Amino acid sequence: MTPDDFDRLQTLMASRAGFRLTRDRMKLAEHRLGPVARREGFETVDAMLASLWAKPVASLGWAIIEALLNPETWFRRDRSSFDSLASELLPAIAKARGDQPVRIWSAGCSTGQEAWSLAIAARDAGVAVEIIATDLSQRALEKARSGAYTGFEIQRGLKAGTMLRWFDQAEDAWIAKAELRAVVHFARANLADAPTDDYRFDIIFCRHVLGDADPARRRDMFDNLERRLVDDGCLFLGADEQPDGDSIAFRAVAGRKGLFVKSAAALRRAA
Amino acid sequence: MTPRTCLIVDDSRIIRKVARRIVEGLGFEVDEAADGSEALAFCGGVIPEVILLDWSMPVMDGMTFLRRLRALPGGMAPKVLFCTIETRAERIAEALSAGADDYVMKPFDGEILTSKFAEVGAV
Repeated sequence: MTPDDFDRLQTLMASRAGFRLTRDRMKLAEHRLGPVARREGFETVDAMLASLWAKPVASLGWAIIEALLNPETWFRRDRSSFDSLASELLPAIAKARGDQPVRIWSAGCSTGQEAWSLAIAARDAGVAVEIIATDLSQRALEKARSGAYTGFEIQRGLKAGTMLRWFDQAEDAWIAKAELRAVVHFARANLADAPTDDYRFDIIFCRHVLGDADPARRRDMFDNLERRLVDDGCLFLGADEQPDGDSIAFRAVAGRKGLFVKSAAALRRAA
Repeated sequence: MTPRTCLIVDDSRIIRKVARRIVEGLGFEVDEAADGSEALAFCGGVIPEVILLDWSMPVMDGMTFLRRLRALPGGMAPKVLFCTIETRAERIAEALSAGADDYVMKPFDGEILTSKFAEVGAV
């Protein structure tokens, strides 16, 4: 991969996915693109990129973009967020919603561990929920939809008792039970795109996603999340993530790492 | 503050070494035993806060050790994490109902072990 190839990849990632591909990921990018090149029938990564630059084919472009996103996730990542969700937020919001299920969005769900963790938290809290989990990567979504995880994946973040309660063993895989599947729906969505309808969520989990956002797009992405959230809803970021000065849409909730609600400015704008 | 203590019980010296490195990284002081009987003798003196326990071992297996440990005075206190190659759901359920706090399927890595320690409240 030449420096010029990498520059073009950076531009591709920023313009299509709003993703900041930092220069230190050049080696990683080359490593990740190897399997894509083989799958797509190219001799080398360089040949694949040359073909893409000469004749941009959307499917190839997206296959490359998907491979360069950050898929890292695990069950109950930032455990305290799931604990406060199950013990405090879900019961309170469910009470306010009456008969309606609480609507939760796992935004940037990657391979699905976050969505299943949300479903487990809701079942443990005895609260009816409807979870929409979205990601840009079709391959990640395929895995998420399968609900099947290796022994290595399943025990990263889950206690054995929780694993036995919510997953069935099938040969080498652990598969999410029908009770969980009934409340989680997976779909492809690009967080860089503005909402085109007015569906709104009570709770949004968007963790360890916007830290990789292209700085020029970050603020719009936060605004898009704000538009998808009901006025008294809440947003979870990663435990150490902040909207910084990029967004005036949200304010941090004191004493709850990673928890945000709409700012007064955002509420005024809505009014 | 005295460091927290963890006993690693496994007949494989390599597994003990790998696990020791991870557990020490979590701030624990580590002791080792090569089978259940050695571990039980150790617990007759001081009872550690966490025990990482293999299932199949010579002399005394992990399940026998666990039952005897839980019958000792103070033996309910330690968090016991089975750590074994056995991955069948019914065997995992058996271990949990015998009083294990959690269960780690081999192979494992530092991230898995760290998350297990966090889930049982050991860190």
